[in-house]
Amino acid sequence: MSVPATDPTANTEPTAESLSSWLADRIALYLQRSPSEIQPTVPLAEYGLDSVAALSLCGDIEEDFDLVLEPTVAWDYPTIEALAGHLVEELQSMEGGSR
Amino acid sequence: MLSDPAVDPAAHEAQESAVQARVAELESRFGDPHDPANPLGTAGLLAADEAGELPAAGERLLDDLVLNAEFVPGEFGGRLDRLDSLARVMRQVFRRDVALGLGYGITSFMAAANVWTAGNEEQRRRLAELLLGGSKVSVAYHELAHGNDFVRNEFRADPVPGGFRLHGRKEVINNADRADAFALFSRTDDSPGSRSHSVLLAERDQLDQDRFKVLPRYSAVGVRGCKLSGLDFTDCPVPDSALVGARGQGVELALRSFQITRSAVPGMAIGALDTSLRTVVGFAVGRRLYRRSVMDIPHASATLTGAFLDLLTCDSLALVGTRAVHLLPDETSVYAAAVKYLVPKMLTDTMYDLSIVLGARFYIREGEFGIFQKHVRDLPVLSLGHAGSAACQATIIPQLSRLARRAWFSGDEAPQSLFRPRESLPGGIPFDRLALASGRDSLSASLVAAADDLPSGSPEELAVQGLVMRMLDELRQIQEDSLNLSPQDRTALASPASFALADRYAVFLAAASVLGVWRGARDGDDPFLADPAWVAAALHRLARRLGQRPADLPPGCEGRVHEEVLRRFHERRSYDLYDTPLAG
Repeated sequence: MSVPATDPTANTEPTAESLSSWLADRIALYLQRSPSEIQPTVPLAEYGLDSVAALSLCGDIEEDFDLVLEPTVAWDYPTIEALAGHLVEELQSMEGGSR
Repeated sequence: MLSDPAVDPAAHEAQESAVQARVAELESRFGDPHDPANPLGTAGLLAADEAGELPAAGERLLDDLVLNAEFVPGEFGGRLDRLDSLARVMRQVFRRDVALGLGYGITSFMAAANVWTAGNEEQRRRLAELLLGGSKVSVAYHELAHGNDFVRNEFRADPVPGGFRLHGRKEVINNADRADAFALFSRTDDSPGSRSHSVLLAERDQLDQDRFKVLPRYSAVGVRGCKLSGLDFTDCPVPDSALVGARGQGVELALRSFQITRSAVPGMAIGALDTSLRTVVGFAVGRRLYRRSVMDIPHASATLTGAFLDLLTCDSLALVGTRAVHLLPDETSVYAAAVKYLVPKMLTDTMYDLSIVLGARFYIREGEFGIFQKHVRDLPVLSLGHAGSAACQATIIPQLSRLARRAWFSGDEAPQSLFRPRESLPGGIPFDRLALASGRDSLSASLVAAADDLPSGSPEELAVQGLVMRMLDELRQIQEDSLNLSPQDRTALASPASFALADRYAVFLAAASVLGVWRGARDGDDPFLADPAWVAAALHRLARRLGQRPADLPPGCEGRVHEEVLRRFHERRSYDLYDTPLAG
């Protein structure tokens, strides 16, 4: 799938900060907590994010950012900070690849 | 590939006749089930079960035939080239005795799947040597306290210089007392999450005998001959070379190797339903009530016809599951979970239906019909172990919304070969190509694509067409419901509605499998499988399982299936997709 040029997300480059806040919001929904309770450097498994939810999260990221990820991405980047950092790299390399 | 058997008829013939020969040899060596002097007949198997032992003559026979070679890939000297053939061969053992199939062999296969998937050359070679030499290998995942939540497992393999130190217990482990090696799912890191476990392959001989012990045997409801016990390690060292795959890869390895076993094992167990159906048909044609045979009582006759249809449905789904490993390895995670969820459930449900026809005889542990209650007790073991029904649904649940967005009503259909029981496959199981999740579903796409292209000449064909349209509606509904799942309903703690959705999707996949098998058989040489009567009746049952109220089947449809029930009984042919000659 290609993102149409008029897509508003194409103009606003996601940053580590915006991704962190997107992730905190989304993970809060899985855990039924408030986003502010989720510290960016604490492993998500500590909050009780199970492997089923981790796989679902991976699907959500793919959908919202039009990325294809390894289903194990939330295992290898187990905190919000690590995951956001990885997603920034993935999005940049995708950007580079498409030019 | 010049000799790709999928396109080379001679290679195709060779593959098929090799499997047929193995099936026929097992069947003839097990001998006549009704002969009281045959130690592997029903009487002998029931006696072993009462004694809580695996039948000694059965273990000797399987040793003699080197059954373990079925679990070893061809490149390491065994006969494991196709997963559907493995299920087909093992079905002959399960047809006689589930405990023997599990306790002699499948435990070792489940352990071995880890090593074939992620082991290094030396480990694979050594495991092949053990298995081909007749050794058993235990698969030690289970800890009672954690069930299928194995990410919380506590059994430890603490990294130390040069290796690991094993500490803790594994419980309800088949063959723990006699296996020559153990595949141990172990915590290698204290952190929570899915990168803290590893699989280790430890050989019994190389362990410090003072630092581990075998726990007492469990007495179980079924598979009473299986030696279920456990292991208790106390700071027991193993070398670095025991590690299978990379450290921390255990959960991922489990989820990959489970795809192999989840696809294959339920198809084996279909053999036990086959024998049970045959037993009840024998009862129904022989017993007279209300001045007619039980078979002439409409309820009894309809139950037996329904059981046969369920068996064909289970076999169709199991066939697709095993062949998908070869043909659609990146889509197998969902299909394997659907097979392991739905087939054992349908087998158990169908056994219950059959027990009603058998009446009081179902409660008797000996004699002509005694094997039935043994299969009733043995079959539920399939839904236990380290891939229970709910765990399989939990594999499907997080993939539903992705499939709903990306796959359904848009992807390419599966190759026809997916649905053809005897068609050859490119050799070797692609262990390295199995993916943990997929965004495609070619099996569902096959039903969607078929809908525009179904024959509509006869009443049976029209019935198939109508039922397929209903299944399309069902997929639309599953898609809508999947898109509406809230985040917390896509976790292990999802509401019952998510589990029900996974159930409906598995039933839909069974419908797509049945339809695919029929379409694949229409130009083949099996007149029954080519006939639309069975597929109409099977889809009708699945539609009712989904809570639909489909129009009545055309007259003659169930009659055609019922005739086949009787033909296969009188001609001693199996009730599965293979219509195999049996010893009795």
